[in-house]
Amino acid sequence: MDAGSQALAEALRSSFVIVKVVMVLLVLLFLASGFFTVGPQERAIILRFGKAQGEGEKALLGPGLHWSFPYPIDESIKVSISGLQHVSSTVGWYAVTPEQMLAGIEPPAGTTLNPIVDGYVLTADANIIHTRATLTYRIQDPIQYVFGFVTASNAVQSALDNGLLYAASRFKVDDVLTRDIAGFQEAVRRRTTQLLENQHLGLVVEQCVVQSVPPRQLKDAFANVLKAEVMRSKLLNEARTYENQVTNKASADAESLVNLAQSDRARLVSDTSAQAERFQEVLPQYRRHPALFGEQRLTETLGRVLTNVQDKIFLAESAAGKPKELRLLLNREVPKPKTEEAQP
Amino acid sequence: MKRNPLTLVIGLVLILIFGLLLFTFQVRTTEVAVVTTFGKPTRPITEPNLYFKWPWPIQKVWSFDRRVQNFEDRLTEGLTRDNFNLLTSVYVGWKVSDPTAFFPRFADSANPIAAAETLLDQWLGNAKTAVVGKHPLADFVSTSDDGASFVAIETEILEAIRSQLHTNNLGLEIAFLGLKRLQLPESVTQSVFERMTSERKVLADRFQYEGEAEAQRIRSDAERKAAEALADAEGQATEIKGKGEAEAAKSLKVFQQSPELASFIFRLSALEDSLKERSVLIFDQHTPPFDLFRGVSTNLLKK
Repeated sequence: MDAGSQALAEALRSSFVIVKVVMVLLVLLFLASGFFTVGPQERAIILRFGKAQGEGEKALLGPGLHWSFPYPIDESIKVSISGLQHVSSTVGWYAVTPEQMLAGIEPPAGTTLNPIVDGYVLTADANIIHTRATLTYRIQDPIQYVFGFVTASNAVQSALDNGLLYAASRFKVDDVLTRDIAGFQEAVRRRTTQLLENQHLGLVVEQCVVQSVPPRQLKDAFANVLKAEVMRSKLLNEARTYENQVTNKASADAESLVNLAQSDRARLVSDTSAQAERFQEVLPQYRRHPALFGEQRLTETLGRVLTNVQDKIFLAESAAGKPKELRLLLNREVPKPKTEEAQP
Repeated sequence: MKRNPLTLVIGLVLILIFGLLLFTFQVRTTEVAVVTTFGKPTRPITEPNLYFKWPWPIQKVWSFDRRVQNFEDRLTEGLTRDNFNLLTSVYVGWKVSDPTAFFPRFADSANPIAAAETLLDQWLGNAKTAVVGKHPLADFVSTSDDGASFVAIETEILEAIRSQLHTNNLGLEIAFLGLKRLQLPESVTQSVFERMTSERKVLADRFQYEGEAEAQRIRSDAERKAAEALADAEGQATEIKGKGEAEAAKSLKVFQQSPELASFIFRLSALEDSLKERSVLIFDQHTPPFDLFRGVSTNLLKK
């Protein structure tokens, strides 16, 4: 072996060593690429040769560092779970551009609604109203949600659309808009939840918020009805207040009437029995000296009475023995004082 | 040059990888596939896994998405049984269920899913027209049932499209179907608005009328009740007084022992009662004790 081929063999050997090292490094790198982390809001599923490893909850890898064989043997797929997902249905809402939506402006109302662009729903009494809903849900079965549907959120939205349509078709316009807003919302939620369950989307409905308005074209007409309703309850409230006042006063008056009668009765009875008692006491005295008793009582009474009398006028008899003529001027304006003439 | 075992292993691994690439294929959990031998479908695969095949050009693998596709069809106009024009659109969840049947129909097109949906759209249109024509408007919107007829309509459309698919055997399966839109032709909306406006007017008037009438009724009711309560109380009062008088009358037999004394006492007490308030009395000389002024009694004293 000459020096030249010796050097060539040497060079070949050393390059083989380099190739080997590179190969080993590549294999190591390939295996290392199988490491992946799962975030706190995520779960991961490993597909080996395209088939999910494990079933149900066991298939889900929790947060942390994991390893699987790299593609094409294994494939790891991450799914966001605990975040709440939102889906809105505008199938029953009039056409509105995103700018108008942000600014909160209503587009001008035409006289008709074009079914291609303007959404609305028909109520049970064949009225047209606008209604929209937002559904909030959580993914419960990520395998079903991700591997069962091309775009699961579209399926959720369709179910929500149907929920609105269905609920509206069973509710009267006034119930949807004013009388039974909560009931309507509940009906939408129930129908949507039921559909989602039947479709095995693997999710849990958290919340369903529904908003309904009358058509823009009829805003005033609806507002007038509301105004009339408010007016009506105001009238009724006033009438009820009046009713309370009147009946309360009447029952108070009635009570005092009865009370008065009762006290009158008690007084009458006690007066009479007191009189009867006194009569019993004086009867023996009267029987002994009727004339004297009479005289004594009369004088005594007159004496007592006369101290109370404000003005006492005494008429002396004229010389002829005839009573003098007396003229009285009665002031009619003071009705209380009584003028009385006592004749023996 | 001596054989290095490591070189040998690496060589074998490379051959194995090359062989696997040629002779195997994977079907993912989201897919179904069909293996064709010289262009003819020979083996459908519906379970995800690793499979063997002969290398191209002998065998070829066609895989399709097996997940549920969400499809919404066009808004189509149909006449209900009671001659209302109704625009309907439905949403459909469908998927490829039988790749052997699906493949020959759609494999040629660039987008088999879209091609299948175009076909579905046509058939759904026919199915809807047929079903809408069988139902009156009241089956779509009404308060009188609990939604059974609404669900029945959806079920009928679903049945129609399913039987259509069955006879044509396209390898498609409908997972679910529901109404998505239910609308009226544009010209009709205006007359609906007119009707709604007049309904609102009637309602507003009724509220106003009802409010006034009801308030009036409440007021007059209240007044009537008040009058009744007072009359009732007066009746009670009279009755109570009557009882009192009856009770008092029991004392009468005491006075019967000496009517003239009783009458005297009554007159005295009446006199006393009547002179309780401010009063003016005018006397002549005959009234005792003023007869004293006449000197009758003074005579007695002088004697």
